[in-house]
Amino acid sequence: MVGAERDVIAAANIFSVLAGYAALVPEPSAPIPIAETAAGMGWAGWILWLPAISTVMCGLCAALRVKNKLPAWITVGLLGSSFLMTLALWLQYDQPVVIHLLDWIVLGGDRWTFIANFSLYVDSLTLLWMLFVTGLGTLIALYASEYMEADVRGGYARFFAGISVFLFAMTALVMADNLLMLYLGWEGVGFASYWLIGYYYRKPSAVAAAKKAFIVNRIGDLGLALAIYLIWHNFGTVEYRALFEALDSGSYSAEAGGWSIKAIPYLLMLGAFGKSAQIPLYVWLPDAMEGPTPVSALIHAATMVTAGVFLVARMYPVFLLEPASLTVVAWIGGLTALLAATIAMAQHDIKRIFAYSTISQLGYMFMGLGMLSSVGAAYHVFTHAFFKAVLFLTAGVVMHGFAGQVDLRKVSGLRHLPGFRITSFTMLYACACLAGVPLITNGFWSKDAIMAQAFISTGPGFRALGVIAIITAFLTAYYAFRVWFRVCAGPVHFEAGEEQPDDDHAPEHGEFRPHAPRLAVNLVLIVITIGAVGSIFLKGWAGERIEDSTAAYYSPLAQGAGFWEDPHHWMPWVASAVGLLGIAVAGYFHLVNRKAADGLKNAMLANPATRWLPTAMENKWYVDELYHLMFRGPLWLGGHILNLFDRYIIDMAIVDGVARVPRLLGRGFQPLSNGILQSYAVSMAGGVALLGILVFLMPQLVDWLSRWMGGAG
Amino acid sequence: MILASTVPINGLTLSHYMLTSSLLLVIGLIGFLTRRNMIVMFLCTELMLQAAAIAMIAFGRYHLDVSGQVFVIFILTIAAAEAALALALVVLLYRHKATLSAEAWSELRET
Amino acid sequence: MVDKLWFLIPELWLFAGVVVISVMGLCKARGIRNAVPLVVIGFLAVAFIITPLLYTDDRLAKVADGLLIPMLGKYVKMVVCAIGIVLTMLSIGLIDRPLEQAVASGRARFDPIRVSRGEYFVFFLLSLIGVMLVCNANDLIWLFLALELTSLPTYVMVAISRPSRKAQEAAVKYFFLGAMAASIFLYGLALLYGSTGTIVLTEMRDAFAEQAAAGGLNRLALVGMVLALLGVSYKIVAVPMHFYAADVYEGAASAVTAFLAFVPKTAGMLAIILLLMTVGWSGHLGPGVEGLPQPILITLWMICVLTMTLGNIGAMLQRSAKRLLAYSSIAHSGYMLIGVIAGPALGINAVLFYLLAYGVMNTAAFAVLGALERKGEEIESLDDLAGLRHRHPALAIVMAITALSLVGFPPLLGFLGKLYLFMAGVKAGHVALVLIALINSAISAWYYLRLLGLPMLAMPTPTSETIVSRPVIWPRVAALVTAIGVVGLPLIAGRLLSASEAVIQTDEVSPMVDQFDVSMADQPAEDQRAP
Repeated sequence: MVGAERDVIAAANIFSVLAGYAALVPEPSAPIPIAETAAGMGWAGWILWLPAISTVMCGLCAALRVKNKLPAWITVGLLGSSFLMTLALWLQYDQPVVIHLLDWIVLGGDRWTFIANFSLYVDSLTLLWMLFVTGLGTLIALYASEYMEADVRGGYARFFAGISVFLFAMTALVMADNLLMLYLGWEGVGFASYWLIGYYYRKPSAVAAAKKAFIVNRIGDLGLALAIYLIWHNFGTVEYRALFEALDSGSYSAEAGGWSIKAIPYLLMLGAFGKSAQIPLYVWLPDAMEGPTPVSALIHAATMVTAGVFLVARMYPVFLLEPASLTVVAWIGGLTALLAATIAMAQHDIKRIFAYSTISQLGYMFMGLGMLSSVGAAYHVFTHAFFKAVLFLTAGVVMHGFAGQVDLRKVSGLRHLPGFRITSFTMLYACACLAGVPLITNGFWSKDAIMAQAFISTGPGFRALGVIAIITAFLTAYYAFRVWFRVCAGPVHFEAGEEQPDDDHAPEHGEFRPHAPRLAVNLVLIVITIGAVGSIFLKGWAGERIEDSTAAYYSPLAQGAGFWEDPHHWMPWVASAVGLLGIAVAGYFHLVNRKAADGLKNAMLANPATRWLPTAMENKWYVDELYHLMFRGPLWLGGHILNLFDRYIIDMAIVDGVARVPRLLGRGFQPLSNGILQSYAVSMAGGVALLGILVFLMPQLVDWLSRWMGGAG
Repeated sequence: MILASTVPINGLTLSHYMLTSSLLLVIGLIGFLTRRNMIVMFLCTELMLQAAAIAMIAFGRYHLDVSGQVFVIFILTIAAAEAALALALVVLLYRHKATLSAEAWSELRET
Repeated sequence: MVDKLWFLIPELWLFAGVVVISVMGLCKARGIRNAVPLVVIGFLAVAFIITPLLYTDDRLAKVADGLLIPMLGKYVKMVVCAIGIVLTMLSIGLIDRPLEQAVASGRARFDPIRVSRGEYFVFFLLSLIGVMLVCNANDLIWLFLALELTSLPTYVMVAISRPSRKAQEAAVKYFFLGAMAASIFLYGLALLYGSTGTIVLTEMRDAFAEQAAAGGLNRLALVGMVLALLGVSYKIVAVPMHFYAADVYEGAASAVTAFLAFVPKTAGMLAIILLLMTVGWSGHLGPGVEGLPQPILITLWMICVLTMTLGNIGAMLQRSAKRLLAYSSIAHSGYMLIGVIAGPALGINAVLFYLLAYGVMNTAAFAVLGALERKGEEIESLDDLAGLRHRHPALAIVMAITALSLVGFPPLLGFLGKLYLFMAGVKAGHVALVLIALINSAISAWYYLRLLGLPMLAMPTPTSETIVSRPVIWPRVAALVTAIGVVGLPLIAGRLLSASEAVIQTDEVSPMVDQFDVSMADQPAEDQRAP
């Protein structure tokens, strides 16, 4: 290679050098690391038990009607201790270990077993997740101690009990050493989310949102439950260690294979998509914003929604058994990213915008996993947790300060208001991270790792996915800065929301005064922002976390070293360009010339050919309505049809029919009227007769049925 | 097949008894389904019990085994207990509404 | 025979209790009458304690040949006594309430003819004795009598449970339909007797084995078995015998409804297990065919699927909490049938464990309903539960926990029960059945969520504001105890599971395996049993 050319490439490679790609040495077929049983590490169990104790203590506070901030300090204290212990665990970590806590379910004998204990499986993937789950959990609990203070006399203890339940369940999910305990945590975080979304139970919309979240998640949970069954069925275990050993050595019974092994990743995927809000199960997440903002930040942005990503990462070896499933993951992720970004562009509710952006970013993570960049995906989870938490927390400050105002058209110029400066600037940085402003933001690095991979990995349509990812990056930059330019920049102007604050800083029938955040909130915002800055330098560290774990899969490298041959060289430039372009467009429409945005929208609405676009985007592509038709409709209809069937067919046709037969026979029986007792009797006798006829007089049907039933029939 | 008994009792084979018993069961069932008077309905359930009793005795004779007949004694006991219960319930209901019709009682239903 | 009497001591002891309380209930002194339920609890507690002491290995060895499942009694009797104690708590203060109030205030004189508290608890205990006797059944007479002893008292309990016409209507429906079902069951037994020539269960098992070895069960046996199963499905509220459930459960007082949903159901399940035990799960269609004989399997399979599905769909349409729980009871019977179909050892163990789990959850749910009232009347509508958290936080939490457990939410009791059942189903190869059950279980979240959301999240309505708790504390204690059970029993799940596992430990409950070993000497014996 000529020297000058090498210099050019080296200059172009500056991003690669900064990102520390050199640390990732490819090694295509690494063995799955197998954990050892650790002795004398029982103390790690307290990471799990402390949130549980916190739950109980907050529950006691609720029962004793404690009317001060005690529940918050209990929660912050215990969660903080849990975080410190996680740190300690990380510091002394050297290889994957299983820490046995207590026996739970031990069944079976010589021929089969079903063992699910309360044990912890600690590898670097676990630690990566645990560090940000407990760390952010503590910080957000601290934030909530101030944010929720209006409720000190109300549901304060209930709120913190919910947060503690969530952290307990999330810890169980992440640290479980078997799929059953993971399932426990999985359902537990779903329940905590239901609990906390419905926190403002006086709002019907909050209760409806809670119910929606729970039910949509149950659909995904069904997939997870089935997957766990099939794993147990095929591999004879639900414990990770035994499962990975079986996978590593290929010692699982070959005849058990076939469809039942191939189905596992797809079912796991269903569970992951439910929890992580991907197509087609994403509809619950935007509604979940009805919960208090710290909940949105903690559960519905930073931690719980990444449980799906965690599940796929944890079960990566199972996915690799059926590579086509990873392609599905990638495509669903990519499409979700694009769809959610388009919806986010047209929303006016700040929290909803961030909710859709969460869905969109989760789409990126799944895209990364699907395209064999588990490192990129995990790094994006890590960076996203920080900047999305900041975004939600700042949105919470706006809501809190302006009496529940969440419409970005009604608040402007926040950065000029006294007391909101820290909010504005942390939000600016978080928006920059989301938009992927080059070099100085963590989102830039993590997103770039995923987008570049789209042009490296070979898979059906991965190049197209890469293009989709780039388009989405542009849209993301646009909607992120749309929020910031609208809310924080521009002339000062605001309208208060409809919420009537009943705490002491409420105005006395006077002009509305915004309520600026105080110490705890500002502190938390600054700390998490610093964390976000710090995570820029942690790419290599996050990569190592993945390399050590079962999610390790070394991304295929680019073919050549030339500038255009390695996407890791040119992707940063492209990403920077689209990101900055998006910010510029947002700046024009929402800062320099706000009328232009409305004008453009009105122009599009006026033109019949383009009218559908803004309308559909604003109405979220009518997916909710579609689902309502698709699922709720038939269920409701089915129920009523059966009811009618019962009333008219059973009661009228059979009852009357049976009444008529004896009359025709001239037996002299009195005609049977619709006496309820006897219509039951007729139904019962009819049922017995039908079953008898079916079983004894219709051998073909019986044969067909028993074939269909499977089993040992 | 057992039904084709080769040991006639006064010209009657097991199948005759089985026919009687199954007819009794069906008559009892149809009566139970069609008659509205609660006492008659109860008598119909007695018919069904006795159908089983006849079958028991016939099978007992067929197998030259007494346990069928023992069973019948217990069936009669149960039938007596049920009769006491049924009459008590009917009287209880009759005090509320002066009717024995089963269809007068349909307050509990699917709404 | 004398050896067997050892195992009847709990029943005899409870029968002594029956005599005592039937006298106590007629005493003029109010204190003695009020002590009746406490005495019942005392008798049940003693029975609970002595049961495990009686089941010693040497005594079991002496009766092992006479009983199909010798160890069944130990587990079932203890479970029945324990849940019986909670059910008793639930019934305190229920019977004769207006009368006792009038007597207490001096408005009326005590009249032994008009009181029925003693009778109520007598019937209560007799029904429990019935279930316990089912475990000891060694022939068809015993089985039939024990089942009737379980049901006949419940008819009276429904009628006297509350001074309402609804209760009497429920009793009439329950009784008449029950009599019809019992006749069908009995006719099935008659046919089984005709087919085998014996009424002793162990001898029937050998007779069936002979028939099977000679080319399959004869038709009389199959028809008899199917009829008997359909007849007894009345007791376990399974399709097609489930139609009465909603009305009867709605009409009876909550305490009695809780009783109905557990006690006759347990008796019915045990009867089904014992009857199927004579046929065995080792296949009678020919060598190498596993599982129940085909017509029986098909019948049970259809009953199971229909029961789950119709139960869950029915529950979705309800506005009354008690009717909803009635349909949920139907659905849970469906789940239990999976274990029955799967067969020993795992399936039967799972059913036995689920009976315990369901007994606890079901009692908890009805205890909450039974602990609440409006103007002395029980609450029925789901809307009455709205915002319960504000006035009765503990009861609301109990209801929420119970609802979660009924959905099968980990790590609660219901989850373990379902897990165990479904696992048994998968192991027996009934994947389709388990799939249907899983889907049903997911659907059921839809309506259980109302039981969870209404008390915890909904706002109180003007009507639900008027709800107060019953003056006696015991129903609330029952609710609390069962809720602790729902949360706490999973922690000792290992011990409970091993207790239910001790009932049947091997798959070899039928001599079929030996029969086939002759003809199929070339195949290993394991292959003939359901794994």
